[in-house]
Amino acid sequence: MAFRFIDTTPGSTARRFVISGAWWFVAGGVVGLTAATELVAPDLIGARVLIFPRIRPVHVNTIVFFFLSMMLIGAMLYAVCRLARRPLYSEKMGNVAMWIWNFSVLAGLLTIPAGFTTSHEYGEYVFPISVAIIVAIFMLTINVFQTLARRAEQLLYVTNWYAVGAFTATLIVFFFGKVMWHPKTSAMVGINDAEWAWFYGHNVFGTWITPLALGLAYFWVPREADNPLYSHAISLLGFWPYFAFYLQVGTHHLIEAPAQPWLKLIAEVNSVGLLIPVYAFLTNQWMTLRGRWWKIPDSVVLKFIFAGTIMYFFTSSEGTIEALPSFERIAHFTNVTVGHAHLGLLGFAGFIACGAGYGVLREMYGEIWSERLAQLQYWLMLIGIIGFTFVLTSVGLLQGLAWRNGETVYRVLPEIFSYYVERGVFGCFILTGAGIQVYNFLKTVYARRRRSEEEFFGLERAAAAPAALTGMAGD
Amino acid sequence: MGMTPRSVALGIALIATFAAWAVLFLPGLSAPNSPSNIVRPYTPLEREGRVLYIKSGCIGCHTQYVRPTDWDYSDLRVSQRGDYIYDRPHLLGSERTGPDLSQEGGQHSDDWNLAHFEDPRFVRPASIMPRFSFFTRQQMQAIIAYVQCLGFKMADERMARQIHWHRRLLAAYRHGEDYNATYLAKLVPRQWMTMPNPYAATQGSVQRGKFVYQQMCIFCHGPVGDGNGPAARYLNPKPMNFTLLKRHRWSGGMIYYQVMNGITGSAMPYFKEDLESAKIWDVANYVAVNFIGRNVDSGNDLNGIPASREGAIPGTKPLVPGAGTKAPVPGPARKVYPQRPSSSPQPASTPAAPGGRSQRH
Ligand code: HEC
Ligand code: HEC
Ligand code: HEM
Repeated sequence: MAFRFIDTTPGSTARRFVISGAWWFVAGGVVGLTAATELVAPDLIGARVLIFPRIRPVHVNTIVFFFLSMMLIGAMLYAVCRLARRPLYSEKMGNVAMWIWNFSVLAGLLTIPAGFTTSHEYGEYVFPISVAIIVAIFMLTINVFQTLARRAEQLLYVTNWYAVGAFTATLIVFFFGKVMWHPKTSAMVGINDAEWAWFYGHNVFGTWITPLALGLAYFWVPREADNPLYSHAISLLGFWPYFAFYLQVGTHHLIEAPAQPWLKLIAEVNSVGLLIPVYAFLTNQWMTLRGRWWKIPDSVVLKFIFAGTIMYFFTSSEGTIEALPSFERIAHFTNVTVGHAHLGLLGFAGFIACGAGYGVLREMYGEIWSERLAQLQYWLMLIGIIGFTFVLTSVGLLQGLAWRNGETVYRVLPEIFSYYVERGVFGCFILTGAGIQVYNFLKTVYARRRRSEEEFFGLERAAAAPAALTGMAGD
Repeated sequence: MGMTPRSVALGIALIATFAAWAVLFLPGLSAPNSPSNIVRPYTPLEREGRVLYIKSGCIGCHTQYVRPTDWDYSDLRVSQRGDYIYDRPHLLGSERTGPDLSQEGGQHSDDWNLAHFEDPRFVRPASIMPRFSFFTRQQMQAIIAYVQCLGFKMADERMARQIHWHRRLLAAYRHGEDYNATYLAKLVPRQWMTMPNPYAATQGSVQRGKFVYQQMCIFCHGPVGDGNGPAARYLNPKPMNFTLLKRHRWSGGMIYYQVMNGITGSAMPYFKEDLESAKIWDVANYVAVNFIGRNVDSGNDLNGIPASREGAIPGTKPLVPGAGTKAPVPGPARKVYPQRPSSSPQPASTPAAPGGRSQRH
């Protein structure tokens, strides 16, 4: 099939988002591995645009806004359409959003090493690029709303709540958090700026990445396990408190900074409160799997997503502990945070994105090109992320305890050297997994015949699927 | 309550707006940006350096606030909200791959900073900070000016000391190396000049000292202690040539004092934070044995009891002869206590010792 810049066939937006994301996973991984190498060999690359401090934000942003965002958006658009039993409202608008997204984030990646940065973590993109991303999110929001407005299935399934919630909240968070009315600096002044920046920085995960991933877990777990969702009431408990708590916890990144004490207290209390929706979500997922555990090894999609939920348990429990001052004193500023971030973004959101990505392609093309390669990728990534988290958490505790013991940062450097090497090694596992994924995706797309529109939106599967999904209401 | 797209969107929008009000607007409204007692505005050059700091991504490795729990800078000031009122954007940072910089101004001399940006490993051999040798002259000036202003009025005070002593050290250095060494010696309190190293220069001690030397000193003072490490190119005055000190028979407490306190006004940093007492004595042994070639220690090779004034009990022999085997010292193996050279030229003005750590509050 000839390449069309704007593809209007049903499902093209979702597919293109997913495949772009897979590509950027590799790119972000390469940059990340380079950064990890530069931490043990700082003189590796002399070029000024490729030194560690310039490519670290490139790595972070590629992973968050290219890989995770794009794969999750793609999979979410697919899920919304399937649940509504309607094609996407406008594939044209979706494709335009896809290109805006790709190009704006790419522009961001080129401008950060060139020195155009707001210096806010996860918000390094300068004003024009932020605007482009907001426009893309806005277009996607309209698309989702219009699709849902035309839905054939009256009941709004949980996945859709998360889609709507994520898009709505993110528009607001981006607008305030990036201080859109100060185009020159995108910043407030002093400590106040830190409070705003972390409101934004935290909610990139809280209202954007995580809800999309949670929604996808709600979509795929009942479907793959062939079991109705455990409880509608628990879904509600996992949804509203989630947003209510998450939006207020940004200041837990500043617990010992001179921020307002009452603000820190709010952040800490809400961080503990967050465990309610987190465990509600997990209960719901795992109970849905009751009696169907044997399904996990068979379906690579379920495997990825189930592993993702387990890592969600660990990240979030760890996150709550990190937000408590007594542990924060040791862990803050160290690699414990980096370990937590990787477990959350790669282990939880990344695994769910990969699982959902495979799910989307499998349903679009009938089957994945190679299940075995996908299984291999799963194990490589699993070894990678577990090793990674273990190494970074250990080295972080080592740093934190040494500092508490009066050692200077410089004195601890030689101690942590070998951990940094080890982290690079585990990074290779993850990067290999990413490479396998993109190969497998492309093979699937080019080697398998795409299902026709009738097949795709025909009732035979759709009838079965939402029944299983929304079953808890009817059954 | 039905979960429709509209109700979900409305509910989330309400929550988000409420949260933005509570955790964004209220904190700003309830805590006005009033200045702290140390803050001052940036000069244009410092501002330029700050922009460079942002563009270069230094924030990825450096934080800019001191916590109540920090040991590193425990005798400095815990950061306050009012310290940041001229910061837009903030540069608090979230990771300490490198040390905190909020009180960095004046901790080191300008030439230390220059050598450090040219290649951090010149002055900090185990550093993992990248080189910034690609900075132009103007950029280098700006970034150093910025780093030296961190800590604001406290930094200004430290910088005033650096500048004051820099002039005097330079003058002494221009007089010639020998004169310089004598001048430096005069700044060291007498009791330190005559104090022997309480740790015997055993092989273990010298070996440990070597390790410390390689991690802290080697690229300034050079692998052979002649002061010709790669950093020397950027430093003025140049690092001390230890072999020069042999003539003056200085070692022991003098080295300890200088290493502990640094030499304000020169690139010689203080190591009080980085090295515990025993490690400084060890590196002093290493320098004395290997470079100065004349060591002054307490002569106490009683295994493990570092008594500073106590030799062996008169009339006894060590129970384990040779347990604390001395590292071989080139040169005459006799015990020499340092004396002040009487015939050396007097420096023009010798105010009281700079009092090493006085560079900090
Ligand atoms: C890879 C992380 C990294 C980056 C990026 C980085 N540094 Fe460093 N920095 C370090 C480490 C590690 C140390 C401690 C060892 C040393 O002194 O070199 C350090 C030390 C320093 C020190 C000396 C602190 C002291 O008192 O011992 C200064 C000043 C400094 N850095 C400034 C900067 C500036 C300015 C930038 C940006 C242009 C920068 N650093 C970028 C890691 C980094
Ligand atoms: C950044 C470079 C640098 C580093 C690192 C450094 N020094 Fe120095 N050191 C100097 C300079 C420069 C001087 C001479 C100052 C002068 O002449 O005014 C000096 C002087 C000295 C002196 C004073 C000698 C005297 O006669 O008073 C001693 C002792 C010394 N250094 C020991 C050490 C030891 C031991 C270490 C490692 C723990 C070390 N230095 C690390 C630059 C450095
Ligand atoms: C209950 C849930 C969670 C809580 C309470 C929580 C808490 C925290 C805290 C307190 C920190 C700051 C650590 C420090 O700097 O000392 C942090 C950092 C971070 N968290 Fe979480 N977390 C949770 C879940 C997640 C999830 C699910 C993700 C990923 C999708 C995530 C991603 C991150 C990232 C990327 C950082 C690093 C921020 C930085 O660069 O400093 N967190 N989290």
